[in-house]
Amino acid sequence: MPKLDSFTLEIKTGARPGPEKPIFNINGFPLEFEALEGATAPGETLKAVGNVFSFPHALALIGPAEGSAPWDIESVRATYQCANSEPYTVMMGAVTLDDESNLNVWHEPPPPTFDV
Amino acid sequence: MPSWFKKVFSGGDGRAPEPAPAPIPASRPAPAPAPRPAAPKAFDFGDGRPKIRKVISAPIIVPEEERSSYSAEIRIKAQVDKDGRSCRFMLDRPIFEGLSAWFPEKRWTKDASLLAEKLFGVAGVGTVLLHDTTITIARAEGNNRGWKDIATEAGVLIREDLKSGAPAVSDAFRTGIPPEAEIRRRIQTVLDLEINPGIASHSGVVTLERVEGNSVYLTMGGGCQGCAASSITLRQGIHTAFRRAVPEVGAIYDETDHKSGSNPYFKELPAGMMA
Repeated sequence: MPKLDSFTLEIKTGARPGPEKPIFNINGFPLEFEALEGATAPGETLKAVGNVFSFPHALALIGPAEGSAPWDIESVRATYQCANSEPYTVMMGAVTLDDESNLNVWHEPPPPTFDV
Repeated sequence: MPSWFKKVFSGGDGRAPEPAPAPIPASRPAPAPAPRPAAPKAFDFGDGRPKIRKVISAPIIVPEEERSSYSAEIRIKAQVDKDGRSCRFMLDRPIFEGLSAWFPEKRWTKDASLLAEKLFGVAGVGTVLLHDTTITIARAEGNNRGWKDIATEAGVLIREDLKSGAPAVSDAFRTGIPPEAEIRRRIQTVLDLEINPGIASHSGVVTLERVEGNSVYLTMGGGCQGCAASSITLRQGIHTAFRRAVPEVGAIYDETDHKSGSNPYFKELPAGMMA
């Protein structure tokens, strides 16, 4: 598992809005994003940067607060900057987070490919 | 009794013992036990959110430009898995459309696949799996030949086979594959009678998600999810049992998201343990 320095999520919200300031969970501990740009209103995109500097055994975007309406996410574009390596990007599709769920946003770097 | 003995074994210092506490009158209520200190809360977000949530996954979207497409030139990409045990060749066209064929040894290729037979001729090849647009080669036991060398040789053979236009897998093999419903029934029987009772002691459970053609997709839950040994269980136990029960099964895939679930990998910290 590589050491994750930081990651950027570009979250496009679907029909139902999400929390104004989402937070994430690294290895079981909640943390705030360092920088938030944009919004989680329907149709809008929020860009959030999280600093980790650790080994991400579990990395999740925390769903809406208890009692809040579900959050429709249309897509998430995650870019990971791991130590001593080039950044890589993973695209995730539609998902709905409710007040009892978090979204796994950790995806290991894809194995390299070569032409034969 | 000597005084020194009394001093040592009475638990006192030789002075007169303290008077015993007066008995509690029957009418007096029993004193309430001292309140135990509350266990520290782990993962308290401070805003009323539940501490343990289910972790779900969103589908991964493969960018359009990375998808295979037909072209005049046969394109083959090779991808070595993380532990270096196998190499997957991704082709830009089907090699065995919708179906899969697994060959653990060269002798299994007889009358089944000329391509697989040729691939076994490449030094270092241990097993061959043909599935739709992919070919997966596992390294032979004890062989340390570099994957680049193996892949280069294998790539030449795969190209030759595709250019020849002949089917990579014989019709006899294809027609011998049982219907999906039959494979599903037999695999489910193996799960119910053999595998799940065996891994129940580890609180594990294996679920048959679907059968596509003769390819089996399963998920591992309970104690198996997130378990570091799950891949060994899959390779050594489940694969063997499935193939014994249904020899026509080709690919077997574990679709478990080992990072999702109620609380994969990480457990709630014991009371008192700080973050």
